[in-house]
Amino acid sequence: MNRDLVVHLARFAGALREAGVRVSVDDEVDGLRALRRSDLGDPDDVRLALRCTFKIRPRDERTFEALFERLWWGRGRAPPPAARLRGRGVGHPLGPRRNGEAAEAGGRERNIPEGEEPGSSREALLRRKSFDDCDDRDLPDMERLMVRLAERLATRRSRRLRPVEGRGRADPRRSLRRALATLGEVILLARRERPIETPRLVVLCDTSGSMDGQGRFLLAFVRALARVAKRTEVFAFNTELVRITPWLRGQAGQGLSGLSEAVPDWSGGTRIGESLDAFVARHLQELVDSRTVVVVFSDGLEQGDPELLADALRRIRARARRVIWLNPLLGDPRYEPTARGMAAALPFVDRLAPAHDLESLERLVPHLSL
Amino acid sequence: MRPEVRALEEAMAREGYIADDAIATALLLADELRKPLLVEGDAGVGKTEIAKVLSRLKGTELIRLQCYEGLDVSTALYEWNYPRQMLRVRMAEREGLEPGQMEQAVFGRGYLLERPLLRAICRREGPAVLLIDEVDRADEAFEAFLLEVLSDFQVTIPELGTIRAEHVPHVVLTSNCTREIGDALRRRCLYLHLDHPSLEKEVAILRTRVPGATAALAEEIGRFLRALRQRRLMRRPGVAESIDWAQALVRLHADHLDPATVRSTLGCIVKDRRDQHDLDEEELARLVALAASPEALAS
Repeated sequence: MNRDLVVHLARFAGALREAGVRVSVDDEVDGLRALRRSDLGDPDDVRLALRCTFKIRPRDERTFEALFERLWWGRGRAPPPAARLRGRGVGHPLGPRRNGEAAEAGGRERNIPEGEEPGSSREALLRRKSFDDCDDRDLPDMERLMVRLAERLATRRSRRLRPVEGRGRADPRRSLRRALATLGEVILLARRERPIETPRLVVLCDTSGSMDGQGRFLLAFVRALARVAKRTEVFAFNTELVRITPWLRGQAGQGLSGLSEAVPDWSGGTRIGESLDAFVARHLQELVDSRTVVVVFSDGLEQGDPELLADALRRIRARARRVIWLNPLLGDPRYEPTARGMAAALPFVDRLAPAHDLESLERLVPHLSL
Repeated sequence: MRPEVRALEEAMAREGYIADDAIATALLLADELRKPLLVEGDAGVGKTEIAKVLSRLKGTELIRLQCYEGLDVSTALYEWNYPRQMLRVRMAEREGLEPGQMEQAVFGRGYLLERPLLRAICRREGPAVLLIDEVDRADEAFEAFLLEVLSDFQVTIPELGTIRAEHVPHVVLTSNCTREIGDALRRRCLYLHLDHPSLEKEVAILRTRVPGATAALAEEIGRFLRALRQRRLMRRPGVAESIDWAQALVRLHADHLDPATVRSTLGCIVKDRRDQHDLDEEELARLVALAASPEALAS
């Protein structure tokens, strides 16, 4: 094969990767095989062959075209630096994509009407007490209430059938297998059932100065949730992203103060976009799948680049079951999500909800389910 | 452009599919490199149609697997025919067979129900076209399973052993992008993103698919849909919808668009209550005016 072509293709693929377009070595091999059959003198032929074998998606089209123009044919014109960014951030319709509703849930779901949690009048007061007005003395009571709330985390039945003992639908395949041992007589019917799936939660919690008051209550709530949804992961961010999941397993009551020492710049400024981008780069593949509900807890007062925030959220949403943004400022009826960061995030959020008191967290629980 | 691409475009046009260079190149390469083709794009832009046309061009069977959440091996690949097995067991009992022999008798090819994937692999009369439709609807577990089938074109049935493909089928996967397709599956395929067609292409499609429509009407419909798709809609109409609409208009003997006709047939192209509500009389009149004047859109 033409060696120059191989080198040229490898360079071009390298440049694409540098520009953030994922091109694998397999793609390059396919590209070469395709080019061998193409008319190398025809720009369109080469361009279409490479687009198809490199799997260029709409969001990468501009980058590809600009680099192709510049590198493949060696024509001067550099691409505009913002070309890649401008191509992003459109196209996702608002609203939830899937309706995995709590109504489907069986088994552990309990039928307690919303907002009707029985309890003493002190509890009733606590439930509507804004986190801003609460102090550390309220925390133990709050935590107890939160645990009860979290137990309502609705779980749904899987759509797949798994073998079970006892009750369930008949499983003809396994029944027949068993029957063979008893000369075709079905003595014991094998059964299968749709197992209960609990969601995986990933919580990204803003611990910057503007969020300090509410942050600790949300974290207490997350800890309560983690007792039901075992695979919960928690990250704190302000200017940096820190995984604080290990803290979840610690003793209740302990830790909130120790935690603020472990997270650098606790109560400092916020770089939401950079932090979420770091999450995307380091953890997205591993922690987020289509059964994951991602919760971002932040007031959206972004000090960094809103574009980066929008892009990170778009990537998260593409993988996750649902993205929920909790904003304590929403508790104020006069608030409108116009902060730069919030406005940029909105198109990629399935649900924007308040989180300023216990009652608002209570309303949130059904949405955390699959 | 390579002559093969042109030839494929013409052949597809004869089958009623107006393909552009990108589509023809992708199909040709998928065939030449023997790789599955993943086609992504909005609903109704003609993704599924590609597989149908391909099967007609190859003169072979189209085997379709419609994906949905919870799709599993027994629906996609194979299932044992339990009632038949049961009857055979009863017969074997009368013949006085040993349990071991009985098992051999019952788990044979004759008792296997072929589902789409197995049928595509086992087809003896040459490669079939296998359409795996809306793969984004299936869950990740199924995607992983699909990966296995698509990389080796062989499946293993515990009771029977490994079955290899007689002929590797032509595979077309489609996705509406409701969910990101996993990287591993993506890597196995060639990729084509289908956008809504250009005005010229849409008019050409309408003229081919709706012979009753005059050139003028087809162009008006094309321009109307182009203007409509530029609006913010919950659901953007695809080519499938514009074909339906053209057929409806031909039935109504409409030879051009006017606001009253458009209003009464709006259900053909706008299938969301909010979208319909947003298109008030004024807006419809504007779109109809745009559709009537060729220059207005050119600018």
